[in-house]
Amino acid sequence: MKIVMCVKETPSTTAEKRFGADMRLERRKEDAIINPFDEYSIEEGLRQQEKHGGETIVLSMGPATATDTIRKALAMGADRGVLVSDPALAGSDAVATARVLAAALQKIGFDLVLFGSAAADAYGGIVPSAVAEFLGLPLLSFATKLDEDGTTAKIERQAEVGYNTVETQTPALVSVMKSINEPRYPSMKGIMQSKKKTIDTMSLADLGIESGTVGAGASGEKALSAEKITTQRKGEIYMGNDGAAERVVAFLVEQKVL
Amino acid sequence: MFLRLDDEQQEIRDLVRKFAQQEIAPHAEQWDEESHFPRELFPAIGELGLAGTLVPEDYGGAALSRLTGTVIYEQIAQADMSTAIWLAVHNMVAGLIAKFGNDEQRKRWLPQMAAGETLGAFALSEAHAGSDAASIRCLARRDGDDYILNGTKFWVTSAGQADVYAVMVRTDHEGGARGISTLVVEKDTPGFSIGKLERKMGLHASPTGELIFEDCRLPATNLLGNEGDGLKISLSSLDGGRINIGAIATGVAQAALDVSTRYAQDRVAFGKPIGAFEGIQFMLADMAMKIEASRLLVYQAAFKMDEGEPATPYAAMAKCFATDSAMAVTTDAVQILGGAGYVRDWPVERYMRDAKVAQIFEGANQIQRIVVARSLIGSIAKVR
Repeated sequence: MKIVMCVKETPSTTAEKRFGADMRLERRKEDAIINPFDEYSIEEGLRQQEKHGGETIVLSMGPATATDTIRKALAMGADRGVLVSDPALAGSDAVATARVLAAALQKIGFDLVLFGSAAADAYGGIVPSAVAEFLGLPLLSFATKLDEDGTTAKIERQAEVGYNTVETQTPALVSVMKSINEPRYPSMKGIMQSKKKTIDTMSLADLGIESGTVGAGASGEKALSAEKITTQRKGEIYMGNDGAAERVVAFLVEQKVL
Repeated sequence: MFLRLDDEQQEIRDLVRKFAQQEIAPHAEQWDEESHFPRELFPAIGELGLAGTLVPEDYGGAALSRLTGTVIYEQIAQADMSTAIWLAVHNMVAGLIAKFGNDEQRKRWLPQMAAGETLGAFALSEAHAGSDAASIRCLARRDGDDYILNGTKFWVTSAGQADVYAVMVRTDHEGGARGISTLVVEKDTPGFSIGKLERKMGLHASPTGELIFEDCRLPATNLLGNEGDGLKISLSSLDGGRINIGAIATGVAQAALDVSTRYAQDRVAFGKPIGAFEGIQFMLADMAMKIEASRLLVYQAAFKMDEGEPATPYAAMAKCFATDSAMAVTTDAVQILGGAGYVRDWPVERYMRDAKVAQIFEGANQIQRIVVARSLIGSIAKVR
C-alpha cells in the first residue's frame, strides 16, 4: 500500500505573526514547524503502514527550505519525501495549492492520502476537499478512526450525538482529527536516519502545470486585513451580603454547573 | 573554534525540548513535593534514544557525541533537574559498560539499558572516600569463581530504583589506587540491600542513598575490565560527568531566567512592570550573561572531548563556572519574584534548592578550581 501524507510548514503557534503589505504572513525559517494538525495524519499513515506494510511518503508544497520540515516527518518514520517548490507558487491560495498537490499526487501514485483537518496558520481547512475534487476521488473528512483493508477505507466521524461511519473504495483521501491518535516523538535514531532518506523536489514544469494557473495572480482568495485578537479576561465580582450568594448561584445555574 | 550546533543537534535539541516540556515539566513540581522518582517515564526516554546516548548502535544505543549530550541534558534540566541527573548517571554507567565491558557483558546489560528498561547507577563514594577515590574500603574478596563483597556506599544516585550498580570496590588489601576494581551488582543479589535514603535540600525526584553489602556473593564475570582497573574506569567518566553537570546547571539557570523574565514583564509595581526598573533589568542582564558564558564553556569542553583533545581543565572550568552561575542565577530569580519566589507556587525556589548540589557533587567546585590551577602552574602545590 502506498500512503501519502500531505504536510504544510507553518509558523510555530507561539511565534509572533507579522504580515507583509500584501497581507501575506511573513514566514521566518526559525519559526517553521510541521503544521501541528498534520502530526496526526503523519502518525496515522505510519500506523497504517505498520499494520499493512507498504510505503509512506510525505508530500509538501512550500519554499525550498521546507525540506527541513519534511525531514522532521521522516524522523518520525516516513520513508521518503517529495517537495513541490517553485518561485511561481508564491501567494497561491487554497484552490491553487490543491491543484498543485493533486498533480503531484497523480505523479507519485497512491492508495491512501492523509491530511490534517486544517493548518494552524490560516485555518482554511478546504485543501483536502479541493484536492479530492481535482482528483475526482472521495474524501472521508474529519476522521476520528480509520480502518483500511487494501480495497476499502472506513472512518468514524464525530457527530453531534455518537459518530457516523463512512466507507469508500480506495484509492481515497482522508482528513483526520486530533482525537484519532497520539503522535509519536521522533527518536534520536529516527533523526539520524532521516538524513539518509531521499527528498525529491518537483517544479511546476515537472508537474506539467502552467505557472499562470497558480500563484498570487491566479488566486481568487485575497487577504484584506489582519488584526491581532486580544482577549480580555472578564471577571465579575459580587460583594457583600446584598444578594451576592443568590447571584453566584444564578450564575452557576446559568453555566449549567449546578 | 566551535560556534554553532549542526542541523542534527538543533533537531535533537528541539525534540528533547518538546518532550521535556510536555512530559516532564508539568509534573516536576509534584515529583519534587512527593519525592517521586518517575520510573514510569523511563521507557519513553528509552524509546526516544536518550537512555543509550553513549551506547553503540549495535547494542541499541544512539552513540551520540558529548556535545549532543550536553544539548540533551540542558533541555531536560530546564524541565526538571532531578530527571536530568539520574538520566546522566544512567547514561554514564551504560557508557562505562560499553567502553570497559567485554562482549558478553555488553550483550547482557546494554540493550535493556538503552531501551529504558534497566536503570543504571554508580557507586563510588563512601564515608571516608569521595573526591579522594583512592581511599575506598568496600572490599571484594575472591572466592573461586565469585567475589564476596562487604562494605557500604554512600550518596548513590537512584539507590533503590536502579537495576544495575557499577560499584567501585577494593580487590587488593594493600590499599592505594591500584587495588580498586569495578563490579556490576544487580539488584536482588543476596547480601545486597539499600540503606538509608537521604532527605535532601533539593533534587527530591532523584533518590540518593546508601548501598549495603553483607557477604554479597556475585560471579567474577561481573567484573568490569580487569582487577585494578577501577580507578581508571571511574576517572574516565570524570570529564564527561563534569561537562554534563555544567550542561544541567545551565538548563536550570535558563529555566530560572525564563520565569524571571516573564514575571518582570507581568508583575506591576508603582504603576509599571517591574522589568521597567533598572534594578531588575541589571539583574536579568547579569543572569543572561552568566548563562550564555556557561553554555559556551560547556559546549567548548564537550567539543574538545569529542575531538579527542585534552579536555580536563575545560571540563572543570565548565562545571565550576556553570554551577556557580546557576546558584547565583536561581538565587536572583527568587529575589526578582520576591515573596512569590519564596513559595512553592512558583518553581524558582525549587530551582535554587536543586542548583545548590551542583556546586558540591561530581567534584566540589573547590576541587574544580584546583584542577584548573594545576593546568596552569602544574601540581607544585599538591593538595591532600
